[in-house]
Amino acid sequence: MSDASTATAVSAQQPVRAASARSRFWMRLFRNPLTVTAAVWVTLLVLAWLWPGLLAPHDPYAGDVTLTRTFEGPSWDHWLGTDGQGRDLYSRVVFGARFAVNSILIATVVAVGLGVPVGLFSGWRGGRADRIVMWINDVLFSLPIVLLAMAVIIVLEPSLPSAMLGVGIAMATRFARLTRALTLSEKEELYVDAARITGLSPSTILRRYIAPNLLPSLIVQIAIISGAVILIGATLSFLGIGAKLDDPDWGVMLARARSDFRFEGIWQIVPAGGALVLTVLAFNLLGDGIRDSLGRDAANSSLTVPRKVALPPVVQLHASSAVLSIRDLAVGFPAAGGMVNRVLSDVSLEVFPGETLGVVGESGSGKSMTMLAALGLTPAPGYLSQGSVSFDGREVTFLPEQEWQEIRGRDIGVIFQEPVAALNPALRVGRQMVQSLLVHTDTSRSQARVRAAELLAEVQVPDPERRLDQYPHELSGGMAQRVGIAMALACEPKLLIADEPTTALDVTVQGQILDLLAEVQRRHEMAVILITHDLGVIADAADRVLVMYAGQVVETAPVSTLFSQPRHPYTRALLDTMPQSHRGHGDLPVIAGVVPSAAAWPDGCRFAPRCEFATDRCRTSVPLLEAIGTDRVRCVRHAEFEFGPPVETTA
Amino acid sequence: MARYIGVRLLAMVPLLFAIAVISFAIAVAMEARGSIAGSVCGEGATIECIAQVERQLGLDDPMPIRFLRWIAGAATGDLGTSLTNESVSVASLIADRIGPTLSIVTYSLVIGVAAGMAMGIVSGVRPGGAADRVLSVVSAALIAAPGFVLAMLLSWWLAVQWGWLSPAGYTRPSESITGWIRSITLPAIGLALPTVALVQRQLRSSMTNALQSRYVLAARARGIRRTSLIAEHALPNAMIPTVTAIGFRAAAALGLTFTVEVVFNINGMGTLLITAIQTRNVTVLQGSMLVVGIVVLVVNLLVDISYGLLNPKVRLES
Repeated sequence: MSDASTATAVSAQQPVRAASARSRFWMRLFRNPLTVTAAVWVTLLVLAWLWPGLLAPHDPYAGDVTLTRTFEGPSWDHWLGTDGQGRDLYSRVVFGARFAVNSILIATVVAVGLGVPVGLFSGWRGGRADRIVMWINDVLFSLPIVLLAMAVIIVLEPSLPSAMLGVGIAMATRFARLTRALTLSEKEELYVDAARITGLSPSTILRRYIAPNLLPSLIVQIAIISGAVILIGATLSFLGIGAKLDDPDWGVMLARARSDFRFEGIWQIVPAGGALVLTVLAFNLLGDGIRDSLGRDAANSSLTVPRKVALPPVVQLHASSAVLSIRDLAVGFPAAGGMVNRVLSDVSLEVFPGETLGVVGESGSGKSMTMLAALGLTPAPGYLSQGSVSFDGREVTFLPEQEWQEIRGRDIGVIFQEPVAALNPALRVGRQMVQSLLVHTDTSRSQARVRAAELLAEVQVPDPERRLDQYPHELSGGMAQRVGIAMALACEPKLLIADEPTTALDVTVQGQILDLLAEVQRRHEMAVILITHDLGVIADAADRVLVMYAGQVVETAPVSTLFSQPRHPYTRALLDTMPQSHRGHGDLPVIAGVVPSAAAWPDGCRFAPRCEFATDRCRTSVPLLEAIGTDRVRCVRHAEFEFGPPVETTA
Repeated sequence: MARYIGVRLLAMVPLLFAIAVISFAIAVAMEARGSIAGSVCGEGATIECIAQVERQLGLDDPMPIRFLRWIAGAATGDLGTSLTNESVSVASLIADRIGPTLSIVTYSLVIGVAAGMAMGIVSGVRPGGAADRVLSVVSAALIAAPGFVLAMLLSWWLAVQWGWLSPAGYTRPSESITGWIRSITLPAIGLALPTVALVQRQLRSSMTNALQSRYVLAARARGIRRTSLIAEHALPNAMIPTVTAIGFRAAAALGLTFTVEVVFNINGMGTLLITAIQTRNVTVLQGSMLVVGIVVLVVNLLVDISYGLLNPKVRLES
């Protein structure tokens, strides 16, 4: 393949992506009425810049010679009144647009013209050149813009263009940062890599591949700085070192209003002040609108309490001795167009004192969501749409947050995956542990600290006193997980939920942690829910197993039954992926495909698209969770299968 | 921590030098635009006048010598004398003017950061809620409005119409503490309003992120109370980027004090600088730029220190 054809093939991929994104961008942009209003105002501003005579009825410089019509309020002749020389304020405001738009143009041209090349150079070259350039850039960035503009004004003449040159230099630092960051990331992109291999010169690559990708970010940044540029321009004119004293510049008009308003009233401030505020607001809103339309969704806080929805009448059947009992739980997430994605449906489980229930399934099967929902911690905007949860014989489905706070941490301990992320990076380990102890026990701060050290010693953390004074980033993953376990076990909970407690850890540590949990469980008759995708861990630690797939329970069975005679094809497929069951040569088998997202779940059996035994019946009929003795299986063909145990490899 | 501050202090040295060079270079650039002595002495300049100004500035020496002489003087607090009034030393002029400016900036930062943090926390705890929507509109308006326009409006109602606060002028704290506070409250509020908006915006977004984090979820799963989740867990982490934003705002506020000084007829650094620009008073310009630059450096140092206090990673790995 020739160099040229590679290059065209590479570049041909981008416009497709851009075109579909572009129409979506405009739709999003004009859906927001505020953005539309802002766009209209900016359009008016541009019109006033091009043909001020069209909009302004009077000469902005010509005053009233007789000086009888000064400091007037709004009237039919003068819509916004007159100033101290009898000049029409409305016309002056319209002509002021010239100064505003000119300011933006000068500052933007300077900022982009200086900043973008510097950023490109710095990002592309990297290394020492990059460090030096960025250091200088950061120094300039930290200086007040007004001061930089003043420095330029001092060196040149005091005038609006020279002020804007200074503002442009100051703003260039932002463009340099932005461009550098984008260049650094684009440099790693495949198509740039491909172009580099084909031997295109750096300048061609920069021009052809990197510059077009920069454009959207530059436009957003220009819209955002435009408001600031106008404000600074007005500020300098107001101080008398920008536009000339006679000009109908908004800053100059405000400076004149300032000297008069104490005697002539507040009105003089309104026309120029209003035009200034509205214009800056319009640019800011436009900038926000463009940025949001380029695709960043508003975030939701995790403190939002789960929404209550009309539930089917809860039938109280929780008379068993189970520590935790979940019945027919469903969790919904609002989706586009008023739809709801049910990420969990019909999930039921029970766990008894002293028992370990293993919950397995690939990522995205709903294991963690089940536990969060059961604890009243459904992440917003998700909500419980069905079902009931009881803990220790008590109905807790819609327990008020305050009562939940009593239970969580005292009666239920949770161990999270990613142990370091579960600890607050800004607080010492000791403080976090002491805080948990103080919430649930009646101790003094110093007693709690002694207890925290004991707890760390119990989970075999060496030198616990010193650990208490450390920050989470000073701990290894294994150490952080021990701290997490110590906190979860602090109040000797009745139930421990361990969500992938060993995934982030190496094998030796993994074994130690599991042994530790087993020992604590024996001592306290604690019920444990062990969430994992690692069947090896399940085989070691669980008594009963619950297999989840795509938000549903697909099989439950005692651990020995599950491993010796799995009933669901998904369970079988999972077992086949275990390294122990692998027959030596070739790659470890994997289940083809991934768990589909909630929006894309098939109508019939959710596993059908990936199931090697799927028939048309599987794709059309919805399988129910059928009981086989105390076990359960969700498969319309389960009676036809007789899966044996996974084949053991002889070591 | 001491080590961290030490490193920061060392990093200031080249910056200090850069600021000195820039301040000095301003004078050189002004000369390139025409004889300073000529413009200082005015149109019908006498030879004595020009000779005297040139002697005063040492214009006949080579550039490096002049720079060293100036910097050596500056190190001992001698910044020369004002070109427009020979009997006044630049140092005493700046000492006289910097008080009002620093009072206003500091006061405005205290007001602005306090109000902005309160608003940012309320917004960030429940983004999209009723309170957040109201506060976001308020801060969008405050960001768009220049501080000096707000200051004029405030001065009209609170000072001119109702007479609660002083409409103009500056009272030294040595004369009267209450008078001092009365005289700087309005300028400080005018300058603080945009700060409020910036802090609110930054804290809202970092607070929202912090509340969505794993560690807050984990703390909730331990039964930690809501107030503690917000104040002890989310806030310290949310403040880390906010402090950086406050730092930039502090530097910008220093530049913008000049406008409120003009609005309220306060003789601070702003009016000193502007008059010096208009009269081409080189010695005063050099000195003022140097001092303002140093203040900016000190502000940046304070920001770095609070950043280190909040962020153990930065502090321990310096």
